[in-house]
Amino acid sequence: MLSRSVLSWLPGLLVLGLILLGLELAVETGWVRRALMPPPTAIALTLWDLLASGEFVAPLLSTMELVFTGFAIGSALGIAGGLAMGWFPAVFRLLEPLVELMRPIPKAALVPPLMLFLGIGTTMKVTSVALAVLFPVLVNTLQGVRGTDRVMLDAARTHGWGTAHTLRHLVLPAALPFILAGMRISLGLALVLAVLAEMLSGQGGLGFLILDMQRSFLIRQMYAWLIILAVLGLALNGLFLLAERRALHWQPQSN
Amino acid sequence: MDFLELEGITKEFPSRSGPPARVMERVSFSVREGEFMAVLGPSGCGKSTLLQMAAGLLPPSSGEARIGGRRVDGPPPEAVYVFQQYTRSLLPWRNVRDNVAFAVEHRIGRRRARAAAEVQLAQVGLAGFGDHFPWQLSGGMQQRVAIARALAAEPALLLMDEPFSAVDALTRLDLQALILDIWTQRKLTVMLVTHDVEEAIYLADRIAMLTRRPTTLAEIVEVGLPRPRDPIATRELPRFLELRHDLLGKLLTRHAV
Ligand SMILES: Nc1ncnc2c1ncn2[C@@H]1O[C@H](COP(=O)(O)OP(=O)(O)OP(=O)(O)O)[C@@H](O)[C@H]1O
Ligand SMILES: [Mg+2]
Repeated sequence: MLSRSVLSWLPGLLVLGLILLGLELAVETGWVRRALMPPPTAIALTLWDLLASGEFVAPLLSTMELVFTGFAIGSALGIAGGLAMGWFPAVFRLLEPLVELMRPIPKAALVPPLMLFLGIGTTMKVTSVALAVLFPVLVNTLQGVRGTDRVMLDAARTHGWGTAHTLRHLVLPAALPFILAGMRISLGLALVLAVLAEMLSGQGGLGFLILDMQRSFLIRQMYAWLIILAVLGLALNGLFLLAERRALHWQPQSN
Repeated sequence: MDFLELEGITKEFPSRSGPPARVMERVSFSVREGEFMAVLGPSGCGKSTLLQMAAGLLPPSSGEARIGGRRVDGPPPEAVYVFQQYTRSLLPWRNVRDNVAFAVEHRIGRRRARAAAEVQLAQVGLAGFGDHFPWQLSGGMQQRVAIARALAAEPALLLMDEPFSAVDALTRLDLQALILDIWTQRKLTVMLVTHDVEEAIYLADRIAMLTRRPTTLAEIVEVGLPRPRDPIATRELPRFLELRHDLLGKLLTRHAV
């Protein structure tokens, strides 16, 4: 089982290795300018310095904190809003036009106006991330709530369940697969918005550093930070998949 | 004494085009306290709809249902509904124990509800299955879970909608015996919907026969078979055969009309 999965990874890793090797050669032969693309080995050494000196910790934590806070706030609001809109028709009529208006706006475009209102500090960054997370989660939650089986709802009614208990213990878990799918989409968006907000605000975190290194012509550092960011994205996604599998552990395995 | 009274129940559903569709027309009958009443009628005549109105899950367009003398407007605490589609009425993310605890957890809390669930599971022959998930059980076992859940609420009135229609013949006999046992032990009042003539005769004290749509009450039949009933011997009694002949004939002619 395990060895097979390692084997299935092998071709992909091979391609990756070949590309890195090709880059290395392209730079060494002068085909690609060193100023734009340092050889991968040089980047690796810089990366190693960042890691060994512990210099990477503070910016990484700063970005992670931003992603987590924004993701948590946006998800909570999205779930609450989706539940309320899906369950209470009056709330739906009240909020639907607003949601439909806000939803298609690429949330990156909202960062400049948000900077006007909230400045360039943490509040602005968290708000940007939360806004990006909010809508996919809300729309998915709404869909999940609407899809709750009528028979199940009637079972709750015939046993005398109240609204709060029904929402918490029936509608929410029934909608959970949808909610988690929305959150998975939002996690990617959260990272994008975090990096962008950091770049535009000009302070703190991996996004800021990548831009700052580029502007200071510290190209190797730029790539090194970029790799750290990529690993963060990979780790967040893996973490989320793990959490999702735990939350949906009751589902019959399809294989 | 009458425990469940249906009086002049009429039901219309709004239709997309034209006037509302009248499904049921002034149905009136009563179920006595402690009685086992079967409701028999052709497919689509509105048996589920009638039972849902008795359970307070669906409002009648006119007329009313009363339970214990009180008008039903919303699910009453005395009655529990057992659904035709057990695969959809159990929560797939809950194990069997928590599915049964469902009945009372909002009143007595999760912990005590789980303890109560174990007792009910033992009663329906599912002791030791508490940790299984519904999808790990056979259809008959899932229906037992649904019955255990209904019993956990300790209802005075059990409203069952074709609870055995989706299981194989042998399992059906098992479940029928189980329901009769429970009905005798707990002195419940039961209204059970079915389209199976033999099942109605075997289980019930009386049978309410419904017509095709627009549905009215055709007649109420006294079964008059001795109890306790036996899955084999009762079905060979002359009275059983006579009733089966009669009711099947009526259903078929009505069906043909
Ligand atoms: N929500 C609804 N809107 C419109 N028509 C409905 C609705 N619910 C039921 N009906 C109609 O009412 C009639 C009775 O439905 P019901 O499910 O009560 O029949 P039934 O006797 O239980 O049928 P079966 O034996 O198949 O279970 C059907 O013709 C159905 O099309
Ligand atoms: Mg039905």
